[in-house]
Amino acid sequence: MRKVLLFATVMLLLLSHYSYSQDRMIKGIIKDAKDNSPLPGVTVKIKGTTSGTVSAADGTYQLPLPNGATTLTYSFIGYADQEIVVGNRTTIDIALGTGNKDLSEVVVVGYGTQVKRELTGSISKINASEIENFPAPSFESALQGKAAGVVIESGSGKLGQGLKIRIRGTSSIGASSQPLYVVDGIPLVSSSQSDANNEPTNPLADINPNDIESVEVLKDASAAAIYGARASNGVVLITTKRGRQGEKTQISLDLSRGFSNPTKKRGFLNARQYVDLLHEAATNDGKTGFAIGDFASEAEGIKYMTDYVDSYMDYYSLGTDWRNAKVNTNWEDQIYHKNAPSSQVNLSASGGNEKTRFFVSGFYSDQDAIIKVNRFRRYGGRLNLDHTASSHLSLGVNLAVNRSQLDRVSDDNAYSTPGQVVAQMPISPLIDSATGKLNNNTLYPSGLYDAQYNFDKQVNFHTIGSAYVNYTFFPSLSFRSEVGTDLYNLTEDEYNGKLSSDGAGIGKGTFVSTQTVSLNTNNYFTFTPNLGKSHKLTATLGMSYLQNDNKGSYLQGENYPSDAVPDLSGAATITGGSTTNVRYTFLSYFLRGNYSFMNKYLFSASVRTDGSSRFGPKNHYGWFPAVSAGWLISEEKFLKGNNVLNYLKLKASYGITGNSEIGNGRYLTQFQVTKYPLNPGYSTDRPGVLGNDSLKWEKTKQFDAGIEFGFLNNRISGEVDYYNKQTSDLLLAANIPYTSGFSTVYRNAGDMENKGVEITLNSRNIDAKDFVWTTTLNLGYNKNRVKNIGGQIFESSGGEQRAVEGQPIGTFYMAKFAGVDPANGDALYYDASGKKTNDYSAAPRMVVGQGNPDWTGGLSNAVSYKGFDLNVLFTFVSGNSIYNRAGIYQAAGFGGGFDNQTHEMLGRWQKAGDVTNIPRLSFYYGNGTAESSRWIYDGSYIRLKTVTLGYTVPKVVTSTLHIASARLYVAGYNLWTKTKYISDPEVNTGSNDNSISNIGSGIDFYTIPQAKTFTVGLNVKF
Amino acid sequence: MKSVITKYKILIVVFLGLLSASCNKKLDVKPQDTISPDQIKTEADVTALLLGTYDDLQYYDGFGQNYQLISDLIANENDISFVGTYADYRRAANRTLDRTSTVAEGIWLNGYRAINKANIVLSKLDVVSADNKDAVSGEAKFIRAVFYYELSGFYGKPYSDGNLTTNLTVPLVLDAVVNTGEIDKAYVARATVQDMHTQIVKDLQDAIAGLPADNGTRANKYAAYAFLSRVYLAEGKYAEAATAANAVIASGVYSLTSSFAGAFNNASNSSEDIFGIQQSEQSNTGSSNFGIITMFDSNTNGDRGDVQVDANQPTIYEAGDDRGSFYYDGKSISGITGLYTYKYSTRYKVVPVVRLAEMYLTRGEANLRSGAQVGDATPLEDITTVRDRAKAPSLSAVTGDDFVTERYRELAFEGDKFWTKKRLKLDIGTLAYDNDKLILPIPERERDVNTKLTQNNGY
Repeated sequence: MRKVLLFATVMLLLLSHYSYSQDRMIKGIIKDAKDNSPLPGVTVKIKGTTSGTVSAADGTYQLPLPNGATTLTYSFIGYADQEIVVGNRTTIDIALGTGNKDLSEVVVVGYGTQVKRELTGSISKINASEIENFPAPSFESALQGKAAGVVIESGSGKLGQGLKIRIRGTSSIGASSQPLYVVDGIPLVSSSQSDANNEPTNPLADINPNDIESVEVLKDASAAAIYGARASNGVVLITTKRGRQGEKTQISLDLSRGFSNPTKKRGFLNARQYVDLLHEAATNDGKTGFAIGDFASEAEGIKYMTDYVDSYMDYYSLGTDWRNAKVNTNWEDQIYHKNAPSSQVNLSASGGNEKTRFFVSGFYSDQDAIIKVNRFRRYGGRLNLDHTASSHLSLGVNLAVNRSQLDRVSDDNAYSTPGQVVAQMPISPLIDSATGKLNNNTLYPSGLYDAQYNFDKQVNFHTIGSAYVNYTFFPSLSFRSEVGTDLYNLTEDEYNGKLSSDGAGIGKGTFVSTQTVSLNTNNYFTFTPNLGKSHKLTATLGMSYLQNDNKGSYLQGENYPSDAVPDLSGAATITGGSTTNVRYTFLSYFLRGNYSFMNKYLFSASVRTDGSSRFGPKNHYGWFPAVSAGWLISEEKFLKGNNVLNYLKLKASYGITGNSEIGNGRYLTQFQVTKYPLNPGYSTDRPGVLGNDSLKWEKTKQFDAGIEFGFLNNRISGEVDYYNKQTSDLLLAANIPYTSGFSTVYRNAGDMENKGVEITLNSRNIDAKDFVWTTTLNLGYNKNRVKNIGGQIFESSGGEQRAVEGQPIGTFYMAKFAGVDPANGDALYYDASGKKTNDYSAAPRMVVGQGNPDWTGGLSNAVSYKGFDLNVLFTFVSGNSIYNRAGIYQAAGFGGGFDNQTHEMLGRWQKAGDVTNIPRLSFYYGNGTAESSRWIYDGSYIRLKTVTLGYTVPKVVTSTLHIASARLYVAGYNLWTKTKYISDPEVNTGSNDNSISNIGSGIDFYTIPQAKTFTVGLNVKF
Repeated sequence: MKSVITKYKILIVVFLGLLSASCNKKLDVKPQDTISPDQIKTEADVTALLLGTYDDLQYYDGFGQNYQLISDLIANENDISFVGTYADYRRAANRTLDRTSTVAEGIWLNGYRAINKANIVLSKLDVVSADNKDAVSGEAKFIRAVFYYELSGFYGKPYSDGNLTTNLTVPLVLDAVVNTGEIDKAYVARATVQDMHTQIVKDLQDAIAGLPADNGTRANKYAAYAFLSRVYLAEGKYAEAATAANAVIASGVYSLTSSFAGAFNNASNSSEDIFGIQQSEQSNTGSSNFGIITMFDSNTNGDRGDVQVDANQPTIYEAGDDRGSFYYDGKSISGITGLYTYKYSTRYKVVPVVRLAEMYLTRGEANLRSGAQVGDATPLEDITTVRDRAKAPSLSAVTGDDFVTERYRELAFEGDKFWTKKRLKLDIGTLAYDNDKLILPIPERERDVNTKLTQNNGY
């Protein structure tokens, strides 16, 4: 390896045998693409050097261009960077825009930047304006519907929760399928570090969305392979805002305030309906009981059953007159905050001179979830500093420090979570009149009651920082060294009070503390030799080292003297405690060359070798090469200057990426400490994993072919990509005989594929001086297929979904519901021969749907008229199914108990001849209550994701107020949704444990719906 | 210019060289909170692995619950009821377990986890000092023998059935598996009952020879004798059984607690505990879903209370017998009221595995059946020792059946009935002792991966 490096270094140095010579002057004017007004303060830089200038008040600039230099970059805060090849021009006028539609826009790639028109890989760019002020806790939510092929599932309306993100489908079963996140060159820890007994949380929520300049999503192998072993799931590059040289410091203040409510409530029976339907069920059961000989007469059966349910209602109504529905509690309403408030303040300043530039910001955000208890508060600051020490040397730091506090609720599968309160009987009073306090004598332990005594507070301190030096040997050769760190410190205090059900009269507490520290360094050369007019080469060579240390501890205790000391120090008995200490490392070398000939034939090749501690000494290293090519047809003579088709590019790429997110030390047999009293020992974890020292990376070979086009001077432009991702060496837990003392061994033994198409279309429908209307449509289609998993079947945690050969991952697999027998109201299923039967045990499990969508996308319209701007984004998903796992309790005709039922039950079968899909009610014998496709729904939806209406105060007004600009806006999120699902269709309950989230999706188990949010905001620039 | 480039070149090469040299070592990261097989290097490491088997003894698929509960459910004659919701336990109670039973799978896995660790210890004896080698080896063999004895009884026909060289029991794995390369050693066919018993007896005899008389709460020489007496009893070798039981009694190390109640719910081993499972807040048989206390203790004490005593069971005691009133009223977590035994009624206390009372009953019965007398007491004296402590009426004579009944009384809910029924070929309810349903299925999952395994009849 070292020999290769040495050789490459020497070659680079020989090639760069150029020296400085005569400069020539370049001048021009820079304008705002939107209104053609001159833009002062734009930084103009000679690419590869630290020297440059800034545009004057009238937008003009001039600077000397050294002979070796070929390219200028233009950057201005809030606008997309552009990169222009100078050629032999001396005057370069330019218009800067905010959108990502411009072909000379600069796109961030791994370890460098590239101009969009020269890209041969597939990269989606999302600019600051699309992320700022979005009311979701984490910036990823703002990407939803913005990038083709990027699917984002927030899963529930709780705040701070983990998100499921898939770039071009799920490409693993046993390892993580989440993308790699890199902020300003530093890879982030994005997996949950919270108490594993609750739902996962999202460390990325600590990044202030308003600090983000752009987000680039690297989708194909050509773009991502430079991140080698961690790139199979795609890479998300986050670039934060930087200071620009300017005449004056720009200060920006953002204020917003919003309120949220659930998008949709399920709707449950009211007290009268509940009593009537329960009596109907009792009558049905009485008749059934007589028919099968349990009772001597129908009347006796009905009386017995009715008395039985009445005794329950007598008990749980606390003696109130339930027969006349005197108490009618809408428990569903009780779990939500009414108009949950949120507010956000963001203040930033940026500026600088030719020596030093800075961006500094601070923010405070306080959000109440729509669900009670759940609240997320954050504050933090950022400093990004760049200094030009000399014409050769520049250096800088990026530093963000944040604190967040998340007040959590229990997971969806706990009685104490507010989401399960909907199961209570509507005849149960909310307040116990005997005590005047919340009623705890309910059908199930009440989450509302427990919420008075319990808490679960998670506090994060998150510091993401890096420092760099950039040394320019010549305009053609520079060296950059970065050292960065991601320090994440989390503590979680959980307490179940003595009076709560979970506290069991003694009080129970848990304290979790986790510290994860990533240390990363990237060191690379960038080489851009001047090879004459027709050749352009950019080469990058470097290395990277990443070390992550995760240390954690937890402590559990019980027996508290009183609720007054809810810290673990108040626990008289410590019932458990332990620490964790885990390290992993990556050592990588990479080389990439981008070459263009005649400005129309584009080639790129890269190779990365990654070594990781996650694999045994035999397999530390893996190779990840990629090649790509592009043909700018519109530069050919026969098309050049064509007014209709002004831009056409064909491109293709092929490469190999890896996935190493399999956990640490999996190649080893590991013995853990056992704590047998007085005699601690070592034993394997249960059920026991045998080490396999030949474990290696999961490998994905991806082919991508695409076409980019622009018509009518880019009035209509777009991109179509086809991809084929073949993942092999899937990491799977294979069963071995228990007689070995172990249960499984991890092997690279499976294949899976994702194939799909991505389409992006942009149109400037109207482009007048005062009136601009643009439309952007993006569509992604993905088809996943599990090709080979050694004949094994992997199931999701609930067992409803599976990965099985020949099917897409996450196929719903259960008995198929066949409706209701009109003659007697029996639930029917399909038997093995396809005939209907009322015998559930005769109904085989079969494929009844899939958890992942076929099509996803977004349609965005932006209109600006004079000072007004309107932005409307629709997102949609189609082809997936949702399983309401709680259906067996809340929509099963009382077959799962006395749980209150959804409104669907009002359409039940009542008498012979009724044609309906809701079987006869029965609480005792049950009818159609077992897991089946009865609760599978079409998960497709189209949603009005965001609507923003803004008004920019005219310059006349702002100048009299001595401010640079001011914009007022109102925005709505999730205002309208069309779906066949009974609750919010963006739903996925449960854990992000790899195998579960890869297989399980679209499960609703008392899941909190998404929030519908209104915000009003103000942005002022000084 | 040339010199400048040379200078840079040297700098860069040195820089990259340093980075790669210093970093390559960084890839060799061993987990910090676990140890891997190549780190088992010292006597302490080997001993720790040995002690790791106590976790398996304590686990609910071992003596932490299922060795007692599943035995008692299989041999149930209206003694207990399972009133909980766990489907597999309900099936065990109804004797309708199937080949995918998680209970059958769990007991199987837990046993071999311990056996493999014992095998690893036996393969690493070279790092144990000469002074301790016999003790470490003896303890590992004790563990291996105990687990094989239990597994063999659950998954194979009893020794009393004869056909020793054709009846199959669980696979006999005596080689350690620590790495993927050794996995072949686990693909073993089922052993015959003969081979299994030969190995168990040999291991226990080695254990007796190697183990010290005092070993704290760990297995000692007498624990090995006690288990050997069980094995010989099962084999119908009464003289040997009496000898082994007598070795424990005659040692004088143990004495019956003054009251019957005193033998249970102790924070540490009682004077009559020859071997017991220790528990603490941080290491126990389970405190929420599983574990013998969780199952047997009433929900009024915060446990599940899924196992209730049938009203019929207390009728086996005579008037005045303390053991006949060792019950309390409680309810299960699902609200079903019923009767509970006091034997497992307090969390984090010792779960007895072998008590001295059993040794008296074993010696007495074995002597009675062999017609010889080993030790200084007659069968009547031995049974009287046990009955007097419980304030049961005195007997004037004793028969083999009396000993059987006395075992039901004294060792109720301790899993003994299953073994007594099988060794004496007694019907369980209406089922003959060798009924297919009184043997657990070989786990389907295990047969899927190891095609050498045959299934038991009836599954």
